[in-house]
Amino acid sequence: MSINVFEKRAFLVSVASVAVSLGLIAYSTWGMGINVPTCIPLGSKPFQQASVTKHEDKNYEVHYVARMWAFEPTVLRVPTGSTLDIFAMTKDVTHGLLIAGTNVNLMLVPGAVATSRVHFAKPGIYTIVCHEYCGRNHQNMNARIEVSDQIADYSVEGLPTSEGMKLLDAKGCLACHSVDGSAGVGPTFKGAWGAPLQLVDGSTRRFDSALFQEKMSHPDTIVVKDYPPVMPVISLTDDEIAQMEEYLEGLQK
Amino acid sequence: MELQANLRRIILVELLVPLALFIFGAYHGVLQVMYLSGAIRATSVAGIDYYQGLTLHGVINAIVLTTFFAVAFGYTVVSQELKSRVSIAGAALSLFLMLSGAVMTAVMVFLGKASVLYTFYPPLMAHPLFYVGLVIFIVGSWVPLYTWIPVYLRWRRENRGLKTPLGVVGILSTFIVWQMATIPVAFEVLAQLLPWSLGWTSGINVMLSRTLFWFFGHPLVYFWLLPTYVMYYTMLPRLAGGKLFSDFAGRFTFMALILLSCPLGLHHQFADPGISTTSKGIQGVLTLLVTIPSLLTAFTIAASLEFAARLRGGKGLLGWWSKLPYFNPENWLFPYLFCGLLIFLFGGITGIVNASYSMNNVVHNTAWIPAHFHLTVGGPIFLGILGGSLLIVTGLLKKPVVSGTMAMAVPYIWMAGTFVFSTGLFWGGLRGEPRRTNLGLTYMNPTSPSYRADWWLPAHLGMWGGYIMGLAVLLYFVVLIRSLVAAPNAALAPFSLPTSEPYHDEDVAAVRNFTPWVAAAVLLCVAAYYAPIRDMASNGLSTAPGFRPDSPARVSTTH
Repeated sequence: MSINVFEKRAFLVSVASVAVSLGLIAYSTWGMGINVPTCIPLGSKPFQQASVTKHEDKNYEVHYVARMWAFEPTVLRVPTGSTLDIFAMTKDVTHGLLIAGTNVNLMLVPGAVATSRVHFAKPGIYTIVCHEYCGRNHQNMNARIEVSDQIADYSVEGLPTSEGMKLLDAKGCLACHSVDGSAGVGPTFKGAWGAPLQLVDGSTRRFDSALFQEKMSHPDTIVVKDYPPVMPVISLTDDEIAQMEEYLEGLQK
Repeated sequence: MELQANLRRIILVELLVPLALFIFGAYHGVLQVMYLSGAIRATSVAGIDYYQGLTLHGVINAIVLTTFFAVAFGYTVVSQELKSRVSIAGAALSLFLMLSGAVMTAVMVFLGKASVLYTFYPPLMAHPLFYVGLVIFIVGSWVPLYTWIPVYLRWRRENRGLKTPLGVVGILSTFIVWQMATIPVAFEVLAQLLPWSLGWTSGINVMLSRTLFWFFGHPLVYFWLLPTYVMYYTMLPRLAGGKLFSDFAGRFTFMALILLSCPLGLHHQFADPGISTTSKGIQGVLTLLVTIPSLLTAFTIAASLEFAARLRGGKGLLGWWSKLPYFNPENWLFPYLFCGLLIFLFGGITGIVNASYSMNNVVHNTAWIPAHFHLTVGGPIFLGILGGSLLIVTGLLKKPVVSGTMAMAVPYIWMAGTFVFSTGLFWGGLRGEPRRTNLGLTYMNPTSPSYRADWWLPAHLGMWGGYIMGLAVLLYFVVLIRSLVAAPNAALAPFSLPTSEPYHDEDVAAVRNFTPWVAAAVLLCVAAYYAPIRDMASNGLSTAPGFRPDSPARVSTTH
């Protein structure tokens, strides 16, 4: 028995409507340039530090860092008509970054960088919400972008301010050593300054300036008990050493 | 032929235990809308945290209730339509595994050890027993298919040349999709989440884990939907007083869903980093193709209803719509299926929005998403489960439905509730309102610097809709409990599901054999997922340590 004529037509209409939808999607993607977030080469090393860089007038590159439960920077003010290239990463769990009222909608997955571009044609306060459940204070995690006719250049709040912290980040120390007491490949920096360290050779030494500088230049001579001897040599200027030490001293329990 | 006595008992447990658990699921649904609107401004109510309640709502309603119903309904259809005895040992083993898994998982959530939502969300880490419970539950749900296959093959040998009953084709399709979809998630749990939560591995490849989850997460939707499609094709035309317009349409739909359910999970990850736009685009196209069987279903069911309405004296191009049995307490099941269809119209359209690649940027992870799926899993699927459960439970116990009028009112009230609820959440979602967020503490709290006045009305529409949905559930339980305590009527005939005759009974060989469709489905999955999974498994993506939902300090692991 052959298939009913109305059913055949219904089938053709279904296929045709899907084809039309696909055509419209193709047009919006290539014709209007609205794509889903693209792929930054896998395995590229994520940045560690939030920052704002001005490339040219009204053209900014913003690096967002997400963590439980805040974004850095928290407030960014830019003039109306600005274009932002947004790069975002997470330091702990998976977060989301949605700028309400725009097409910026990113997942921030550990180990990867997400990116999108947004143009602010109209002034206003744009809320950035974390829209991926990230733990008990998820609902507190937001930031904002203020777009205004009244300003000529950007200003920003909520970036890490300490030079020492930035250096620890830039030199890669924070990959193994936490600053909040949590466990890592190496011991945490929190409360470590001035405290005794048990070494694998059985001796005990205080974490002070002498030990810090010796460890940086000859990491294999000082190995803390219960941790793997994997630290690389890190060369620092005297200024950098002073800034890092000042920061570490401030990291009390 | 009456179902085997032991099978009847197993089916009753499989329907009534999840309905009892659903009381918690529904209670947390109503609490959700109160948290969302700011009617509750707290982290917890009665000792259960918002995100813990949300996990219960998702696990119980979307996993436990749906899967138990699919198994119970599947046993009923296969046993009735093939007029065959099935393995009671197999059915009992399945029930035992699913019950133990569900209880283990639920206990971990109630204890607050697993507030990670049913999507797992690594690197948030739950208690290992949460993951173990889910694996046992899923393995239990694999068993029925393997007890049905020999029964099906024997029936085919003994009935050469006859077409397999359409309902059986639908049920086997349901569980073939389930088998294909659950292998990656079982792998994710056993190879990634479980060793990591036990501290045997220090990190987890989050992108791989997300991708394995969504390989499962979207066909899960079709696993929910297929039993309802079986009811639409095999029961609804009969309930309307007519015949199924096309037998071919049903068989084609079931086979097409076997083919297309799995290779399109990436459309849940359009916003993810680490996946090329090519991979996303390919699965985006496949996602739109899967609408074809649903569009054909919409036509076939509408044509079947028209056929029934014209038999009842319906006239004119549209006038026949008035002749369907909308308000007949004797035929209380009809509105459960009919309202589900109406709701699904909107669920389907908004689903196409989500799937439409670049358009996803506007709605991904916003309140739009729960608005959409409360019109799918919370619409036709949920009403199918409520109606089907009441039909089978009362039928097997030979009890009357008390009362038919009240039972009939439930789907209409539920439909009104979902429309109000979803209107609010669609609207809020378009304005950036996030899903799965305790809005009352911040965004819906006028004293908070994060307050969003423009989300007030959308969130309150969501709340009012949620109350109406809660009322419908309350009424349903009144009907169910009154029916359960009513005296049985031994004079009633042995229970059987209503089944429709086909109007056009086409015989198309291409849709009469599962094997080529399953083989093509496997090939398509490999083609669609090879590139993204190769990238994720082999790249330098660092693995992430675990975090508990209540602390930003990573879970310490042994070295």
